[in-house]
Amino acid sequence: MSVQLENITKRYPDFFIDVDFSAAKGEIVTLLGPSGCGKTTTLHIIAGFIPPDTGKIFLNGQDVTALPPHGRRVGLVFQDYALFPNMNVYRNIAFGPRMQGWSNKQITRRVKELLSLIRLPGSEQRSVTELSGGEQQRIALARALAPNPELLLLDEPLSALDARLRKQLRSEIKRIQRELELTTIYVTHDQEEALAISDRVVVMQNGHIEQAGTSFDIYHRPKTRFVAEFVGITNMLAARVSGMKGRFVRLESLEGRFLAGFDGALESGQEVTLLVRPEKCTLNNENTGGNRVRGKITECEYLGDSTVISLVLKQALFRVKLFGPLSCRVGEEVQVSFLPEDCWLLKS
Amino acid sequence: MEENINQWKRWCTGTRDVLLFLLPLLFLAVFFYFPLVSILNEGLTDESGRFTLRHIAAVLTDRYSIRVILFTVEQAFISTAASVLLGLPGAYILARYDFRGKSIVRAATTVPFVLPSIIVVLGFVIFFGNNGLLNRALMAALPLDEPPLRILYSMKAIILAHTFYNFPICIRLVSAVWSRVNPNLEKAATSLGARRLRLFWHVLLPQISPGILAAAALIFIYCFTSFAIILVLGGGPRYTTLEVAIYRYAKVSLDLKAASALAIVESVLSVIFMYAYIKFQKRVSFAQQVHLRYEKKPLGTMLRSPAGVLAVLYLIITFLLIIAPMVSAVGYSFLKRSGWAGRTSFSFEWYRRLITELSTSAFAVSYRASIRNSLFFGALTVALSLPLGTSIAYLTTRKRFPGRGLLESFAMLPLGISSIILGLGYIKAYQSLPVDITGSWYAIAFAHTVIAYPFVLRAATSVFRKINPRLIQAALSLGATPWRTFFRVELPIIKSGLIAGATFAFAISIGEINATLMLYNPQFTTIPIAIYRLISSYNFYAAAALGTVLMGICFAVFLLIDKIGFEVS
Repeated sequence: MSVQLENITKRYPDFFIDVDFSAAKGEIVTLLGPSGCGKTTTLHIIAGFIPPDTGKIFLNGQDVTALPPHGRRVGLVFQDYALFPNMNVYRNIAFGPRMQGWSNKQITRRVKELLSLIRLPGSEQRSVTELSGGEQQRIALARALAPNPELLLLDEPLSALDARLRKQLRSEIKRIQRELELTTIYVTHDQEEALAISDRVVVMQNGHIEQAGTSFDIYHRPKTRFVAEFVGITNMLAARVSGMKGRFVRLESLEGRFLAGFDGALESGQEVTLLVRPEKCTLNNENTGGNRVRGKITECEYLGDSTVISLVLKQALFRVKLFGPLSCRVGEEVQVSFLPEDCWLLKS
Repeated sequence: MEENINQWKRWCTGTRDVLLFLLPLLFLAVFFYFPLVSILNEGLTDESGRFTLRHIAAVLTDRYSIRVILFTVEQAFISTAASVLLGLPGAYILARYDFRGKSIVRAATTVPFVLPSIIVVLGFVIFFGNNGLLNRALMAALPLDEPPLRILYSMKAIILAHTFYNFPICIRLVSAVWSRVNPNLEKAATSLGARRLRLFWHVLLPQISPGILAAAALIFIYCFTSFAIILVLGGGPRYTTLEVAIYRYAKVSLDLKAASALAIVESVLSVIFMYAYIKFQKRVSFAQQVHLRYEKKPLGTMLRSPAGVLAVLYLIITFLLIIAPMVSAVGYSFLKRSGWAGRTSFSFEWYRRLITELSTSAFAVSYRASIRNSLFFGALTVALSLPLGTSIAYLTTRKRFPGRGLLESFAMLPLGISSIILGLGYIKAYQSLPVDITGSWYAIAFAHTVIAYPFVLRAATSVFRKINPRLIQAALSLGATPWRTFFRVELPIIKSGLIAGATFAFAISIGEINATLMLYNPQFTTIPIAIYRLISSYNFYAAAALGTVLMGICFAVFLLIDKIGFEVS
């Protein structure tokens, strides 16, 4: 089932939500943003808990804006799981089908099927309060899937779990979503999780959409400063367009002259911000025909698989992420190089 | 030398703890357990002192006693059901709506814990009585010659008074549980297709039922051991409960054997109910670990829907139900009737008497003396129950020793024993001794202390538990002695809890009528007893004046407790 939110707005005394996006059938779309940006409210508007002030919601092309939550065939998974503490695993999963009036035989079969899908077969009679966090989250997923929803909504489903379990369950959710070809909206504030799990990412801030696109676009082709800053570490250098050189834009800045790739239209003399990801840079590499800038090392942060080196250029701060073993001395003068095709521009 | 000092210090600490341990235990042993054992002894032995179940068996087969037991359970059961049903909508409204004046409504739900039962009786008689405000208003409005409502001195009166007295308890306890239910549960159930009744039945009710059960158990205990309301509003042997029957056996027919046997039966039952309450209460605190709260809906916007209008109506009516009897009592206190058939007129007569009255004769009720006595007993109760409750709380929260759990249960048992039975115990226990303490001021003070100190104990225990033990470690590591740590660090933190507990103890003492009536002698008439006697002689105006004074004191207590935020239940 496809979802479409058309010019949805909702006004609160101190907050305004204005969103417009869609998810195609079988797609997994993430709403990414800091806490308080309106992701969960948007999700609750889709689920039908909050009526929007204006705009329409379409599920499979059908206008459901006026339908109550239970009429929408939407499955919902909460951050705190919200498992019914007075029911065991079986009765939690069976709750939806029971409300839909399924026969006992159908329900038993369905619960069994789901427990094997989430890889907890045989745990029907367990009490939900004695399950671990990861198990509870999987039961919550099974409960949402039980009545065969056409759309799955996940509200920060992994944020209460520890990092290792988070990664494991992330791929589990992705696997189940693929297997069922279930259209899914996934809310998270974790950019790594968003990039890893989504077909497309919708970055939100302050109730509006900053950018919607594929994980690659969001990471490498941010459209706003907020997206660039929120999704991973980015180096930013203020610069001015001075012309074109082949398919690259020629830039001048306090730190030197650079070349950068960009798709949009620019005028000469326009103020821009040059973006380059730390892991796209190298140190003291004389061979590239790309951009070069000199700086002094202020900090070396060893992360195991990589090292993040902080530098001061003439004025700007800069970071480089290098993989593999290396020696790094604070105070050392080094040359940083990066390719024009790894650069991106933000119009100021 | 050094070694000696250390040894001496250790000995001091040891002695201190032993004293902390022994003094409260001694007090409880003499003024609670000894009387209790005396009742057991009286009820379970024959004339030659041999163990026998004859008296208990007699009580359990006697038709009168059986009727009393059944009636006690019956009225408590109906009163509880009525209180819970009347309270549940209020619990829902308080948990789910926000509106102006909500804090006042919430505070009003503390009223039953602070308001003396004699005030309820007084307000009830004045408001619902045959010649009361409601009847007079109806007679004037409908033109009738006879009062249309004959509620007093019947089962109806008992149930109504108990319901008005206790339904705020249900609002208070259940709304607290309800507002802690994870709102996502409701969302999850709705999105899975559960609506209205099924949502309530399958998802909400299982979450709030521990709260409802706890509230019901508490209300049941209150109604089961209710005394003044039954004594005055019930009237006659048909509407007699265990408490009243024990009182009549002990004070009217002077049959201590029968009184003791009934007391044993009642205590066994009430301890069972107490146990049930504690069980339910534990399940409530277990359900408290959710941090999400309902988004509160403003009541103003709900006024557009029928449900919202109902909610507002409910709030107004119940608020009036709580307030009206009290307000009419205050109004009555400014009235006076000249002669038996004379007209009633506005007057400050009763208040003037409070100030200028000189006589302290044993027959006429002395208003001033009763106020003085009540304040005196209240102060004494605070002075005794504060150290008692605090030292036990300190021991049970700070020290590890074998039998700590046992000490806790021993210390809390006075909550499970009715004060009529406590009074009976005093009568029995000190009857045979060379000094008869019944009728003395200290017997009343000690009885009040035994009744009130569990609340100090509870308040102190909760504040002691709240202190981060790191704070004490920090103070000790910075060079403070244990005593200085207590006075400089702990006391400032626990102060407000102790004040709340002490205030509550004061309120209980000042409103206490059960044990006082068992032990009293006219010289030590307290306000509640004076009110009781004035009601008995149909002098409602004077009773209202004294009642207003008592309400004023209780209102001050209530404001103080509300400000400190002590959880009274």
